[in-house]
Amino acid sequence: MSSETQKILTTDGIPLEVSLKKAEKKNKIKAFLLVCPLLLFIIITYIFPIGEMFSRSIDDRMVTNMLPKTFKAMESWDGKELPSEEVFASFLADYRALAEKKEHGKLGQRLNKEKNGFNTILKKLWRKMKKFEEGNAKEQIMAVHKRFSDVKYWQAIKRTAPPYTMAKYLKGMDMYFNEDGKVVQVEEDRRIHRILWLRTLEVAFFVTLFCFLMGYPIAHLLATLPMKYSNLLMICVLLPFWTSLLVRTASWMILLQQQGIVNDFFVWIGLVADDNRPEMMYNKTGTYVAMTQILLPFMVLPLYSVMKTISPSLMRAGKSLGGTPFIAFWKIYFPLTIPGIGAGCLLVFILAIGYYITPALVGGASGTLISNQIAYHMKATLDWSFASAMGLMLLTGVLVVYWIYNKLVGIDNIKLG
Amino acid sequence: MRKLAKLFLALTFALSITTSSFAVTIASWGGAYTESQKLGYGDPTAKALGVEINWVDYSGGLSEIKAQKEAGAITWDIIDVFAFDTINGCDEGIFVEFDFDKDFPAAPDGTPASEDFFAPMPSKCAVGNILYSWNYAYNSENVKGTPKTIKDFFNTKKFPGKRAIYKSALTNLEIALAADGVKPGQGGAKIYEQLETEKGVNRAMAKIKKLCTDPKGGCVFWSAGAQPPELLMSGEVVMATGWNGRFFNATIGEGAPIVQVWDGQGLDYEYFALVKGGPDEANAKKALAMMTNTEMLAGSAKYIAYAPYRKSSIAVMQAGEPWYKDGKTNMVPHMPTAPANTKNYFLVDPFFWADNGTELGEKWEAMKAGL
Repeated sequence: MSSETQKILTTDGIPLEVSLKKAEKKNKIKAFLLVCPLLLFIIITYIFPIGEMFSRSIDDRMVTNMLPKTFKAMESWDGKELPSEEVFASFLADYRALAEKKEHGKLGQRLNKEKNGFNTILKKLWRKMKKFEEGNAKEQIMAVHKRFSDVKYWQAIKRTAPPYTMAKYLKGMDMYFNEDGKVVQVEEDRRIHRILWLRTLEVAFFVTLFCFLMGYPIAHLLATLPMKYSNLLMICVLLPFWTSLLVRTASWMILLQQQGIVNDFFVWIGLVADDNRPEMMYNKTGTYVAMTQILLPFMVLPLYSVMKTISPSLMRAGKSLGGTPFIAFWKIYFPLTIPGIGAGCLLVFILAIGYYITPALVGGASGTLISNQIAYHMKATLDWSFASAMGLMLLTGVLVVYWIYNKLVGIDNIKLG
Repeated sequence: MRKLAKLFLALTFALSITTSSFAVTIASWGGAYTESQKLGYGDPTAKALGVEINWVDYSGGLSEIKAQKEAGAITWDIIDVFAFDTINGCDEGIFVEFDFDKDFPAAPDGTPASEDFFAPMPSKCAVGNILYSWNYAYNSENVKGTPKTIKDFFNTKKFPGKRAIYKSALTNLEIALAADGVKPGQGGAKIYEQLETEKGVNRAMAKIKKLCTDPKGGCVFWSAGAQPPELLMSGEVVMATGWNGRFFNATIGEGAPIVQVWDGQGLDYEYFALVKGGPDEANAKKALAMMTNTEMLAGSAKYIAYAPYRKSSIAVMQAGEPWYKDGKTNMVPHMPTAPANTKNYFLVDPFFWADNGTELGEKWEAMKAGL
């Protein structure tokens, strides 16, 4: 069609279509260049580290490369009874090669994560194997330590054979691959991660709920009071926000402990007996109180900024049309604040789910959350792949919450201001 | 403008050179402890060698140095670490291995360094710094009677009230067994023999669980070293396990009515490790050798009640009593290694914890979750 109709030309004779495209392309490049720094920033600080975390959490090539002969010999082993002489001999050969490169320590570290107690017997083997005679590897290795004749240690080696593994994710849910390759649960007295996941969710949920119940009236008051009072109130909300987190946590400890100020006051007014002071610290109560106070501004601020935009005449209109104040609030005011509620709740929930200093300090026996466990594996056991796996599981959890929120309320309904 | 930027760049470069290659950086735990290290041997060594020594704080563990190494930008030369960290770090190839008698000076009487140390090093990458104690203490104003033994810590009938214990399994299991009647044996060997078995672990866990669920008892878990004396002073607990140096500071330094009990104490060690490929490895090695000699180690005990790792340092302190910085307190009786304090003790076994820490940690957390 266009070839038949006369093309529209610009003054210098180029078809308008082409000229327009050219100009638009320039604009597009400009726009892209403007976004570029941010894009790079996100790739470098966000996407790349998460990718790195993921590859770390499934990558198990280190052992695969360290024990090539052993794994080859293990292919024909059923994993039920002690492996054959061939496996022992190839393991010894692999381990000797590692010792020459001074990498045997790393292997011990890695295998100890798979089965506790492995590092010691490998070190013992390292000391003894210099005096080993030719042949008869099985007997000689088993004589080094009785654990070498325990089939569980050899099963642990076999488990590390695949170069990529989901084992760390299973461990995060208190499960593992047994010798048949089936997924089974760990012994009952070691099932800790599931308890921690549930506890983390529970704490995050209730903290969000308490923040909402307390933050909503405050935000409403802030939005409706005359300027000179609301400014003062705003400072009261923001002041704790500017105080160090640790200082605030420590203050709660002083206030709420059994011999603390609040309890002293209760005893003084005769509310409780001196020898029967309630425990409000080093348990869940303490965790909820401290975390709610610390996260409250994150709820109040988005709520306030949304409420500020709601015209007071809407409520008046509702009432003049015959609604009671409650009906007017519920049918008109509340729905209008939902974007703020969504923003505040998501913000508080996501912050609470990854919190760990406060619960660790005030939570007592039940104070450990999943983030403490992640930090423990980062710092103490150096099992970074397990820490990465749990970190990604936590991230997935947050994304699921986000997804549910999107389904229920719709993400377009979020408003931070 | 561009000139200014260039100048600025050159300045930062010069600055980074001066801070990275003519100074030794040591990472330690901060607070009163680092203060004692700095005043006791850091500053004198820096002066003697003409090398600047910078102290930075960290919160333990090898994650930071491992990250520095993986990123290829190591900024620490020496790290103050726990025993099992030196074992792990040595295995991972993060630290330099020592030849003790060659790398470290002998005692004044000529005893070679390896024999002057209180105990053999847990790995070739560690040089001992101090010995400290996991003992327990009580507030004499809140406790009727005088607790004397580790059994009294668990005796809620005679001494009712809450106890503060360390948040993780480390030393709690040992103390529980010692209080349950296991004789520690040579350096606590019998206790660790028990803990190698499942029965022994369950026995220790049950003892702790009983204390924590006892209506007359109950547990508060502490995580920072400053907490035990605070919990005792506020009356939140009647007894607390803790580090002897912190109790000493509260009692002698601040005049608090806190009394330490040494029965069933766990002796633990703290070490220096030299980072392989650190910014100034040569000077760091020299500084480390000097900081851990007899005189210098004794110097740190002027400021805190932790025992120097060298036996010969005790003689220096004895000759110089009153050794504490206030000029009137004798320091030797407050050392965790003093004969009166080591009648019933165990040595915290780093190999045991390096091996079994993860598994026991899981069991411990599961036990705590059921409280």
